Amino acid sequence: MICAGIDAGSRAIKIILIDTENMQVIAKGLADQGVEQDKLSLALFKSVLEKHGINKKDVATIVATGYGRNAVSIADTTITEITCHAVGVHHLLPDSMTIIDIGGQDSKLMRLDNDGRVRDFAMNDRCAAGTGRFLEVVAERLGVKLEALGKLAANSTNPAAISSMCVVFAETEITGLLASGTAREDIVAGVQASIAARIISMAGRSAEPPVIFTGGVAMVSGMADAMQNALGQNVSICPDPQMTGALGAAILASKQLKKANA
Amino acid sequence: MSDMPKRITLQEWDLRYEQLSKTGAYQPDYGGPLSRHVEGGDQRLLKLRFDNSAAALRLWNFLLTEEDRLHEARTAGRKIVGTMKDLGTVPVMAYSFEDIVAFYPDGAWWIPCVMELGAGLLEIADSLGIDESFCPVRAMLGAFVTGAHFPIPDMLICSVGATCDDFSAIAQRLNGLGHPVFWWEIPHRRNPEPDEPAVNLPGGFSAPKCQVEFVKSQLERIKAALEELAGEKLDERKLSAGIQKANQVRRLLTELRKLAFTAERCPLPSLEMLIAEMLAIHFCSDRQETIVVLKELLNEVKNRVSAGNGVLDADAARIFWVNPVADLQVMNLLEDCGGRICGTEYLFTHALDEIPEDLPPLEALAQTALADPMAGSSIDRAQRICTDIELFGAEAVLISRIPGASHCALEGRIISEIVQETFDIPVLEIEVPPVTDSMRPTLNTRLQALVETVKSRCQTSLRKRRR
Repeated sequence: MICAGIDAGSRAIKIILIDTENMQVIAKGLADQGVEQDKLSLALFKSVLEKHGINKKDVATIVATGYGRNAVSIADTTITEITCHAVGVHHLLPDSMTIIDIGGQDSKLMRLDNDGRVRDFAMNDRCAAGTGRFLEVVAERLGVKLEALGKLAANSTNPAAISSMCVVFAETEITGLLASGTAREDIVAGVQASIAARIISMAGRSAEPPVIFTGGVAMVSGMADAMQNALGQNVSICPDPQMTGALGAAILASKQLKKANA
Repeated sequence: MSDMPKRITLQEWDLRYEQLSKTGAYQPDYGGPLSRHVEGGDQRLLKLRFDNSAAALRLWNFLLTEEDRLHEARTAGRKIVGTMKDLGTVPVMAYSFEDIVAFYPDGAWWIPCVMELGAGLLEIADSLGIDESFCPVRAMLGAFVTGAHFPIPDMLICSVGATCDDFSAIAQRLNGLGHPVFWWEIPHRRNPEPDEPAVNLPGGFSAPKCQVEFVKSQLERIKAALEELAGEKLDERKLSAGIQKANQVRRLLTELRKLAFTAERCPLPSLEMLIAEMLAIHFCSDRQETIVVLKELLNEVKNRVSAGNGVLDADAARIFWVNPVADLQVMNLLEDCGGRICGTEYLFTHALDEIPEDLPPLEALAQTALADPMAGSSIDRAQRICTDIELFGAEAVLISRIPGASHCALEGRIISEIVQETFDIPVLEIEVPPVTDSMRPTLNTRLQALVETVKSRCQTSLRKRRR
């Protein structure tokens, strides 16, 4: 049987289909998120099925996760991205004890137990500081592509101090830094360090290793280094980090199916 | 409609009300269908879920008619005292007088929620320079300016010192608007030095004797001011009788909390529990009726518990809730996500503890006032929370931050660390403004994730026990 996980994030929709026999990923897809979240999820789901020659009736269970999970009408059930990321990361890296997930709109830090279950978690406040959106605003303001931020940061010799924790104020601060002639490289490095510090503050007492970095922002080069510097310990990027939520959702869909059939 | 306990909407309550009326169920003079309060502007009620018992109906009607009672008191020539900040001490004194009614103008902080910002109170506060960087209690300023919600009190009494900075600023602004405030000081409770005479306070705290003496002197000032207002002496006998009545309320609430929070199935929704607990501090402007309302609610809960009935699923995650919420709907949301409340700390645990009856009454009140969680450190608060977590068997803690409240800035981290060190259970902090509609998806994710985490941990421990 096949099970599907749909991660309807704030910036992108991700879908993973797994074969429940061997828990292998058999298909996946990704599309930009938009206003009509249900339509977009359905369209992506159909295109993934079509591309891999899978019949919809062969998909036994669908679990939706992510910010827009409740808008996904084809889902049988919804589970939060906290649980799904934990399951997805644990599946790929069973030793993981701490997960940092930075998505388009929020950031989370999860502590796992030895079985890969969430022991506790922390999330950012409602403002977008410390999220992918923050990086987007910065890239836009500096006139560079998001993918290029890491390369820029790598060339920084004197990272700027970004004191604000609010996207709006930080943008003002960046304008000020640009006006005073601060190099773009130093601004980007400063922004990445400030995001990392924000995330690490959620760790509170400790971040038990191994620490795994997942979510779309993990793909932005330089972010893992910034996280590592702030945390003072090794931070590994999860394989295919943008897809771990969808993977976890697919695995949980498979577990639900097995439970229902037991 | 079934009599089985459940949460119902306002529309469903109308049907249920008709049904109850047909059976000839007793209605107090403030009774009636809940939906009538919407006509007065309480729009939020349309979005809430309520307990379906007659006892809950009476509780809600009692709460939502407090303004009427205050106006009636004014018409009857009784003196109205607005008590602010101390949460639970001054009303005990005030209600010991024959002709004084006390209430908390601070309670106006729920008006922006209940009226879905329709009353414009926050805008008035903004215009007075008390903007959103202050706690939603600033709505109180708007209520004083419009005069549309409660009669302007004959006297205002407010505690300062070890209270929230933003609250003091709001009260000072009120004073500046021509509403004179009688200020009294509550010191920051500290641990006694090793060689210093100490007093054990209710709630398991202790304080130097000199601090208790100081608070007692402050209460003596309040007593004198109240005597002048009432034109009546408050002797020890009257004050002791007032304390006994307050303790009757506190004992009812202690029993209700124990029963509701430890029951196998949740017998009463969190909103009704919140309103009931709040009665400990303000008596909803009628102390005697408070006792009747609570007795009825307690009986309902007893019946439900003994029948094994509840309003939520039996496997609901047991959550300890810290701080009152500015938007009442968030408490519904936790239950919608699969959680239930098992323990609360709404900043007035001292008002739930019995006031010692074997001490001179002012001494007893001083000790109780000093046991206020806001008067002590966040560490003290966290330890009290830990005691109650153990008592009620909570599996997670939810700290609901109040936007702008100065005490919320740092306490969350301290409470969280102490709770996690003691119990290793998840602790989640959320921020709840007066109307959360636009934040609903993100709040929903946080609450749902907390419930998932608790349930997943339960499965793990069950599995380990089976091994």
